[in-house]
Order: sequence, then structure tokens, then C-alpha cells
Amino acid sequence: MAPEALLSHLHRADGSATYTHNGYCIIGAVNGPIEVQRRDELPEEATVEVNVRPAAGVGSPKERHLETLLHNTLRSIILTRVIPRTLVQITLQVRSLPDEEGAAGVHPSLLLLPHLLHTSLLALLSASIPLSTTLTSVLIAIPSSPTSKSGAPLVSPTATDLLRAKPIRSVHVFAFSGDNRLLLNESDGVFSFDVWDEACETAEEACCREEGGVGLVGEGMEVDGKESANLEEWLRVVVRRKVEHEQRWKVAT
Amino acid sequence: MPREAEISVNERAFIQQALQEQIRLDGRAFDAFRPLELTFGDEYGVADVQLGKTRVIARISVDVTTPLPERKFDGVFQIITEFSPMASPAFEVGRPTDAEVILSRILEKAIRRSNALDTESLCIIAGLKCFALRADVHIIDHDGGLIDASCIAVMAALQHFRRPDVLVEGEKATVLSVREREPIPLSILHQPLCVTFSYFEEVDIFLVDANFAEEQVRQGEVIVTMNRHGEVCQVAKYGGATVNPLALLNCTNIALQKVKEMSKFIQMKLDEDAKRRNVGGLLAELSAENDR
Repeated sequence: MAPEALLSHLHRADGSATYTHNGYCIIGAVNGPIEVQRRDELPEEATVEVNVRPAAGVGSPKERHLETLLHNTLRSIILTRVIPRTLVQITLQVRSLPDEEGAAGVHPSLLLLPHLLHTSLLALLSASIPLSTTLTSVLIAIPSSPTSKSGAPLVSPTATDLLRAKPIRSVHVFAFSGDNRLLLNESDGVFSFDVWDEACETAEEACCREEGGVGLVGEGMEVDGKESANLEEWLRVVVRRKVEHEQRWKVAT
Repeated sequence: MPREAEISVNERAFIQQALQEQIRLDGRAFDAFRPLELTFGDEYGVADVQLGKTRVIARISVDVTTPLPERKFDGVFQIITEFSPMASPAFEVGRPTDAEVILSRILEKAIRRSNALDTESLCIIAGLKCFALRADVHIIDHDGGLIDASCIAVMAALQHFRRPDVLVEGEKATVLSVREREPIPLSILHQPLCVTFSYFEEVDIFLVDANFAEEQVRQGEVIVTMNRHGEVCQVAKYGGATVNPLALLNCTNIALQKVKEMSKFIQMKLDEDAKRRNVGGLLAELSAENDR
């Protein structure tokens, strides 16, 4: 299943996006560049603020950890030096999570991370914040028995997939920039370097490999032709739709 | 954090003059709500309310805790409203604005203190275990009328929510998952809903469901909470303007009519959702609930 995205649907925020994939639904909003508080002001670059708000309850250390990861990744793709002494405020509200999320025995914050990254990128694009590159991210889960056939790495598995493949030996989150460079890696579990390397390779294929990649969407989606084969292409389709929508005044005349 | 952009003098004068000529900016009647939309998700207890451009999501979640020592037979119910910068950059995380404090206070009075939810039914073992219910109110988009929208969202979510069934054997209680037994609805005693009236002193006009621009211009507000049987749960008045007591009575009459309409709408949406879930009519057989 390719992710679904809805851009610029909130009225007060400068940019917004709703992202739905594998039972996760996240609403993201970006305000920026706006006035920054004196204590957060940086003389030569913009301050990036990330708020992650859980579906139920108030923020906990889990959300703070995710915020730190997102902050560091996003700061590296936002052209903060173009808009110095301003604030880019990113708010991510988790709207719904899949039911079986907790049952799979995998760190839930890692499962959420790729979706949060995508949502924030889409919201940044919607707010027209200057970015140096785009970003795609994917979750790779490696089941416990690497010898058997089921031991193949799972690319962007759903909660049910994880539950079926239990026990999971390790999970990895990779994020790649538009020019195929690794931006973020978070791993959890027991794994060797070879396993990690293989996971990284698979992730790169799912995110941004040109032509001939196995892709996240799999064979089922390639049939109808229109759907994107990898995340990079999916992102391009979303952005193209956004630009077409914004330029419709030009096309109509 | 930037301050909320204040409405300009021209806009203010324009709205006031229009009201003098008995016109609202968006052409609504003085006692008309903006188009209301209510959607439920796949999960139980999530209500997404859209009132014009305002959008509020309420989510109910449940947990098992020990009851408060002074209230051994009651479950715990709390409503959490926290504004995020998503609705407006002026809202800062961890620093409640006045609007946020008023919203949480009104919801507390309207829903919790009016006993809309029978907290005794949340008790599992007296003094030892009870359900702790929490309602999280997420403000997604803010264009005025937050109190009305949040109240609708919380009440709709409460009516939509199903809590897991429990099996009690002496001192031991087992919470049964959705797979084991069909979850049961909460016992709701009545359905209070809020109607906010914005008062404009110079022209002596009450507006129902003001949008954000009108909210900034108004001199006072009266929030009436009622259920559809016409029982007033609370009346709150904020702002400096003095309000005629007879006008207040008129407000409650209008509120009753609006609350009846809204309750009907919520019920219709709940029925639609129930029908969508109840494919093949098997839900009645799954239920382990006794008729009252």
C-alpha cells in the first residue's frame, strides 16, 4: 500500500499535511518562518522546533526522544541559513495508530518514526520552507530466523505483518535524502554488521533506487501502472499534484 | 511565540457596522450554526468534529487504576485539553492561554460535574480497581467556537466509545480483550451540549456560534450548557459587558432548540456508524450486556 497524503488542508497553519499509511494517521502542521523567542534565537540560522503529540495522553520521554531525532534530521534538510533569526515550528499530531501496535514486541517509537518523518516533510513542502533536499524513510524489520525463507527482511511491514513474523530480531529505520545519501539510521535489537548492511541496501531500494528496484509497493501495485514503485517516486507524485493544484490559475487561462 | 494577530480597526468597525444593519459577515442568521460535520474513525471513541473551519478531534482511552481513596465506588474520568501550535502559532506548548483554561473549565463543569457519565459504572472492585477514562481533546484548526465544537466532540466520542468487559472472580479481575468479548458502551446519563452566545453591547445582539473574527470583536459571551430535555447544566458569562437577565432567558430558549438539533444530528451519525459496523446484524448476538 502506498501512503496517502493530503496537503494544505488546515486554515490557520502555514503548511499542513495529513499522512495515512499502514493504519497510522498523522496530522502535521508547520508555522514558519515566524518570530522566534529571544532565548531560542540563533544569529545565523533558523531555529527548528518539533512538537510530537501522542494520540492519547500528554507527551512523555518517548515523544521527546522522537522530537530530538526529527529535529536533528530536519535541521539538516531545511536551509536554515537562508532564513536566519526565525522559527520553523513543526507540530505533529498522531491521530490514530493500528490496533496491534503494542503486541508485536517492537519498540513502538521506531515504528512511528518513518511516518513522522514523511508527515513533517510534506508539511514543510506545503509551507514552502526552503529545503536543500527531500527525504524518504522506511522501516526494515528482520525476523528471528535468518536461515528459513521467512527470514527475509520485511520492508515497511504493517502491524499485522509484524505480529505474524514474531519474534522480530531487529528493526531498522533508514532515511535517505533526495540524492541517495543516508540521513538517519535508528536500529533496535540484535544484529551483525552484515545484516545491517543488507537492511540498508533493501531500504535504499525501497526509498530511492532508480529502475529495477523491488520497491515498497510490491507487485500488486505495479499492475495498475500509475502507482509509484518507490517512495521517492511517490513523493514526486504528491509534489507534482500539489504544484499542479497551485498553478491551476495559470492553466485555466 | 508570536502574539495572536489582533483584528484591525477597520475590520472591527466593518463587523460592527454590518451587525448594526443586521447582517453577519458570512450571511448566516444570528442564531445559526455553521455547517456541522461529525465523523468517526475505525476505532471506538474517536470523534472528529468540523464546525465551519474549526476542527476538533476527541479521543477516549481507558486504563485500569486504583480509585481515589475518598471515592471508592467511582471510576476516574478526566478531560484533557491542550492546545498545540497547530491551531495557531500563538498557542505555546506547556503554557496554557486564557482560552485554554476557560475551555477546560467549561468542559469540566458541563460534562464531568453535570454527571453526564456514570462514573460508578467504571468501578471494577470497590476500593481496589476501577477504569480510568480519559478524553483527549485535540484542537486541529481554530476558527472560533472551540467550546461548542469540543463539547460536541467529547459527548459524541463518549457515546461512541466501548470499554472492554471485565470478569471479576472474588479479588481477581480480568480485562477481556476485544477478541474475547464484545466491548460494552459506557453508561451515559444525559447528553449536555454547549451553546456559546457572543454579545455585542452597542447593538444589543447575541450571536450563536461566532467565528474567530466575531469572537475578537464581541464584548461578552454567555455559554449555556443544556441537555435535550431542557435541563440547564451550567451558565457561564465572560467579558465585561452587562447582560440583561431577560435576554439570558431568551438565550436558554434558543440554546434548547440548538441542543435538540445537535443531539438529533449526533444520534443520526452514531446510528449510521453503528449500521456500518453491524454488517450482517451479528453484533446483537455478540453483546453480553444486560438490558437495564
